[in-house]
Amino acid sequence: MMARPRRSRAGGPSSRDQPATGRGPGDKGASSGPGGVPPGRVRAAPSHLVTVLAGLREPIVVILLIIGFMSWISGKPLDGLLILLAGVSLAWDAGRRSRQAVPAEAGPARASPAEADPAEASPAEAGSAAAGPAAREDGVPMATAAAHPPASVTAAGSAPGAPPAPAAAGRAGGPLAVRRWRRPALSAAWLAAGVLYAVVVGSFSRYSWPATVPVAGLGAAVVAIGWRSPRHARPAPARPPAAGLALWGLVFVAGCLWELWSLLEQPNLATSSYAHPTISTLTDPVLSTWAGRSVVLAGWLGLGWFLVER
Amino acid sequence: MNSHDATVLGYLVILLAGIVLQLLATRTRAPIPPLGKVIAWAMGTRTRRVGILVAWAWVGLHFFAR
Repeated sequence: MMARPRRSRAGGPSSRDQPATGRGPGDKGASSGPGGVPPGRVRAAPSHLVTVLAGLREPIVVILLIIGFMSWISGKPLDGLLILLAGVSLAWDAGRRSRQAVPAEAGPARASPAEADPAEASPAEAGSAAAGPAAREDGVPMATAAAHPPASVTAAGSAPGAPPAPAAAGRAGGPLAVRRWRRPALSAAWLAAGVLYAVVVGSFSRYSWPATVPVAGLGAAVVAIGWRSPRHARPAPARPPAAGLALWGLVFVAGCLWELWSLLEQPNLATSSYAHPTISTLTDPVLSTWAGRSVVLAGWLGLGWFLVER
Repeated sequence: MNSHDATVLGYLVILLAGIVLQLLATRTRAPIPPLGKVIAWAMGTRTRRVGILVAWAWVGLHFFAR
């Protein structure tokens, strides 16, 4: 990984610019870490367990681990194992970057505890607005997305206030015309593929291997794509108002707690209850038919597409 | 109203609360962000983005996979 030059604080913390290895240019630049201990020595032998524990500060990691644990004890070991694996990997990744950020952030330039937060939220929320989308990703340069702009960027207009003039189109000649029809064609192809996927996978009975393989494969592929980098390079959105976030959080938590309460009211975790149905129990009649499974799968695909496009 | 009805009603109330929040966000000047903006903000860092995508994958696994 190439080490990029350090930015000033105004440009946002550059914890993600640190190399992935334990020792790197960050060690060379500073003579000593906090307390006079050389940072290279501090980072020389990070315990993987401590790294994972450091990643548990991320709420989403804790949520994933809870989901994985509940799935495991509810008779869905494959679900549980995969989610636990993803949660631990994410915790390790977040903890690793957090630990790398500590020596880089420590020093006389530290301005406030908020800025010293080694979590990754700060670059996306504060830094990238000033430093641009390239500063936003976790050690994955966004230059790839910039070098190969997505169809949405190229087709929607290259600059605000400068609509694609016919003269420009004429100068551009073929490539621009190709781009104009390529995007709808690509969208139509993706749509057709999605419908085909929903119909074919929906034809398999639930919890069968033919249904498991395509669902698990697609899920893994999407997570891998999301892990690497976002599909579109765009400035990070501003943090929404805290009150609004709290209200959405309240609805989300209420839904989770209601589902959990229903689950715990069952005779046991693997046996559904009519008196206290979970969402899974309520959707069983719909998912017992081919059409119902296909519609739900289409909705799942649409939601995944929506998330990937964010 | 039996336990089944009360449980289903609870889900509906929560769903309705979400719909009301979305309507308030899009139809009024209340300081409530639309759900899309909340998700876009949440997807702004790798940890949250991957976490949300894993949760999405889990939904598919939970309903269809072994």
